[in-house]
Amino acid sequence: MMRPVLTAAAATLLAASLPHGGTAAGPFDVKLSQDQQIVHALNRLTFGPRPGDVDEVRRMGVEKWIELQLHPDRIPQNPVLDARLKPLETLHMDVAEMLKTYYPLNPPGIIRFTPLNELLSQDQMRKVLNGTAEERRAGLEALAAEKRWQVLATVPPNVLEGLPDLQQDAVEAKKKQQEERMMEMRKLRPPLNELLAPEQLQIAQRGTREQREALFNSLDAAKRRLVAGVMAPQSLTDFPEMRRLGSIVRAPRQVPTEDLREAKLYRAVYSNRQLEEVLTDFWFNHFNVFEGKGQPEQMTLASYENDAIRPHVFGHFKDLLLATARHPAMLHYLDNWTSLGGDVFQVGPFAPGSGLGSFISRQAHGLNENYGRELMELHTLGVNGGYTQEDVIAVARCFTGWTIRQPNTQPEFVFAAFMHDTGEKTVLGHRIAPGGGEQDGLTVIDILAHHPSTARFISKSLAQRFVADDPPAVLVDKMAKTFLKTDGDLRAVMETMFTSREFFSEGAWQSKMKSPLEMVASAVRATGAETADSFMLVQKVADMGEPLYGKLEPTGYKDSAETWLSTANVISRIGFANALGAGQVPGVKVDPAKWAVNDPSKFVARDPAEIAHDLLGRSASPQTLSAIDRGIEGKPATPGMIVGLVISSPEFQRR
Amino acid sequence: VLTRRFFVKGSALVMAGSGSVPFWLGRAAAATQGKRKTLVAIFQRGAADGLNVVAPFGDKRYAELRPTIGVGAPGKPQGAIDLDGFFGLHSQLEGLKPLWDKQQLAIVEATGSPDPSRSHFDAQDFMESGTPGAKGDGWLNRALGPPTAETSPLRAVSMGAQLPRTLRGDRSAIAVADVQQFRMNDDTASIMESMYSNSRDKQLEGAGKDAFAAMKMIQALNRGQYTPANNAQYGQGGELGRALQQVARLIKADAGVEAAFAEIGGWDHHQNEPNQMFGLLRQFGSALAAFCQDMGDRMEDIVLVTMSEFGRTAQENGDQGTDHGHGDLMMVLGGPVRGGKVYGKWPGLEKEQLYEGRDLAVTTDFRAVLSELVSGHLGQTNLSQVFPGYKCGEPLGLLRT
Repeated sequence: MMRPVLTAAAATLLAASLPHGGTAAGPFDVKLSQDQQIVHALNRLTFGPRPGDVDEVRRMGVEKWIELQLHPDRIPQNPVLDARLKPLETLHMDVAEMLKTYYPLNPPGIIRFTPLNELLSQDQMRKVLNGTAEERRAGLEALAAEKRWQVLATVPPNVLEGLPDLQQDAVEAKKKQQEERMMEMRKLRPPLNELLAPEQLQIAQRGTREQREALFNSLDAAKRRLVAGVMAPQSLTDFPEMRRLGSIVRAPRQVPTEDLREAKLYRAVYSNRQLEEVLTDFWFNHFNVFEGKGQPEQMTLASYENDAIRPHVFGHFKDLLLATARHPAMLHYLDNWTSLGGDVFQVGPFAPGSGLGSFISRQAHGLNENYGRELMELHTLGVNGGYTQEDVIAVARCFTGWTIRQPNTQPEFVFAAFMHDTGEKTVLGHRIAPGGGEQDGLTVIDILAHHPSTARFISKSLAQRFVADDPPAVLVDKMAKTFLKTDGDLRAVMETMFTSREFFSEGAWQSKMKSPLEMVASAVRATGAETADSFMLVQKVADMGEPLYGKLEPTGYKDSAETWLSTANVISRIGFANALGAGQVPGVKVDPAKWAVNDPSKFVARDPAEIAHDLLGRSASPQTLSAIDRGIEGKPATPGMIVGLVISSPEFQRR
Repeated sequence: VLTRRFFVKGSALVMAGSGSVPFWLGRAAAATQGKRKTLVAIFQRGAADGLNVVAPFGDKRYAELRPTIGVGAPGKPQGAIDLDGFFGLHSQLEGLKPLWDKQQLAIVEATGSPDPSRSHFDAQDFMESGTPGAKGDGWLNRALGPPTAETSPLRAVSMGAQLPRTLRGDRSAIAVADVQQFRMNDDTASIMESMYSNSRDKQLEGAGKDAFAAMKMIQALNRGQYTPANNAQYGQGGELGRALQQVARLIKADAGVEAAFAEIGGWDHHQNEPNQMFGLLRQFGSALAAFCQDMGDRMEDIVLVTMSEFGRTAQENGDQGTDHGHGDLMMVLGGPVRGGKVYGKWPGLEKEQLYEGRDLAVTTDFRAVLSELVSGHLGQTNLSQVFPGYKCGEPLGLLRT
């Protein structure tokens, strides 16, 4: 049993100490054993092995299993996943419906702070904010008493510098404002003890599952909403629909994103089509869109993932690229929807005085380079892919007119001919004749999707995700060749990768650190835990620094170990692992009984080495095992504790 | 101030853990002998539009290039806060004006990198590495001296879940998402510490070792609520405010912080810039102001420097925004700073003065600014180690000597 352990450790060391994937005989030429291949394939094509997966792949044969994962339509979906996704209704909701439920004009229960610029005229603002002490005093004292209180409660402290009496007043004013808000909040959202009778309250807070269920069911719809809105989300994870209702009451606009985040976790944990999920995550990150940019992103992100990304992850790169280019989420995120030809604003329909008062005309009156640049730098050619600033401008001009009908109410693609720059363009040496209209953008997609730099950049990104942080150039070349030969057939490119010598090599073995999502999902999978409410898992991923759908920059999250090698990351991973083992992650149920010794009178852990082997799919290192042994020496260790320690181990952070 | 109480509590904690007093505790205690000089680097990710942060309202081309998004001259509605008759702070940076008046704030104009990249991600990596055109470990990590007996495990801290490139490198540096939550139960901690410190996985062994040393120190010196001094208000400072408040807390606990890093994102204003800038600058300005206020006299030992990967086009684009440009500005704040002055040569905004006819030119290499702070404040005189391949010119004179 010791041999594979040492080999594994040696391989990790070797991989880490070699700066680049070598071309001469090196770790990427050394083949993995049959057993290692199974664990390796599971670690790379899925979000981590579940109990029983290793045996299943062994039974089927690794090659056949990979082939199956490459054809997800042949894999029956897990009914548990369907059940989990069903209540997340925004995932497949049309925009009109979503607007009605999740974007009410005056969300109940929201108290708006009146900002300073609404309390004061510009002239008053200037005096109060920027004047001398005397001017500031005069400005403030000139206000009517009620307004002065409001202003004093709002201004930053430096406004009151040198005005000690007014500082005093400001302290009072803040207090008063606070109290008023509390009163108002209390009216809008009565506390639980005003909503429920004492015995009901007792049950709501400390009742058994059955008692609470009966209580929640007994409430009428209006009261149910109020109760859901004031109860702590962590206390409602046994009742995911109630917990979700609370979100709708408190912050309805956040619900579409929350649904999407929870769905991502459910899919990662439960989907039988694991490679499809890994790829959907990979490609979303490649074509990243940030949910927080605005309402159009929030409303259309589910569609972006489901309609633009997911259907193409085993298809042709060109289709994937085009689907993202035309999706309102991307059009809005990278600003293309308001970009228009330089002349349009001067003489076209938006010219001042033309009378066209659309939403766009208020924002747009010229070219925006944002999409043009990121399209080449991040989506296709790569930053050193051989384009210039002139190409950025030319590409941006080609895409003028690719816009959104109405971002907040009708977020759908439309080509607006009047916004389009009709002149001639040259993109990467290709002349694009004047008057192409919408076709210009399609031509650019075509040029980029077939460019050798794109073939390399995409191949390298895939190899980085599936093989190693710094994948061997030989492998990337092979994949790029397939890409060019097959018109960018992504399934073919992946077949080249998965059947390569480098994929099943010592150089790749355990060389990848798990991303926060991979860490969390793999821990839940490894323990065979069930989750009926994934919102705390979503939070754990965010705690490790990578909130789902929360990357502001279009790069997406970086896919290499140094990103995750921080002290904060180590601490939060260990914290999560031990909480999971101890059954203290709300919404997640681990059954540690299978790791207990076979003696019903005692709840004591089996041999840690066996537990570790179960969870890792391979043996833990002697260092890890001896740290556990020494730590529990002389104390009876519960199975959950050992599970937590194994998931905390350095080995479990790798895949 | 670290007290005996801290020492006793700290050692008790460690005793319960691994059974021996580790080296760091001795070091931490020794670190109380003298206060530390601290350099705080603040990164504005997304390419901040320097021309609207500190507006060159005295340059007549400015208003012409930015008819709808430009900051008005002082006296106009939401106009600039005049600094020297030519430059003015954006109105939402009012919190910084008192620091300017106290001569604790200097602005260096037309700073940037000699590398022409307009890619956010390359340019950030280059700037954080301190090596334009090449990516590597961080300049601020290299600015730290070799560890000695007095070196604290918290010598280099970043606020956030991931360690930024600026602080990556040979010297130990830690990332803290939240000081309050940087903790673990003692039994688990001692097992995990032994597991990670013996691991053959060199990458994780390193991160683990730093994590446990830092965690013990933070747990020991960090109990209860933190109340900022001098009525400092971090509330409007957003994420940056929260980060700087934690930096303040560690510095005030004499935790031996030499280098700190915090960041504020969201500067990529391709559209609707005035509205977005309004809120973001409010956060930025009030976070910095609150930190300086909170630190009070300790600002004598602190220098903050702000930077962004590049500036933005001098002319506004079609969407009331700006596209990726070149030259930008840096702010330097602190007690040792010779403030109340705009440094650097202003290259002008006429078409032929602009870089590639479109962006503010760079007249001061960002490494010139950082070099002065690294040598003058942190005392790292081996600048070729910090900024390899870079030759410093005439110093700007940013620090009092």
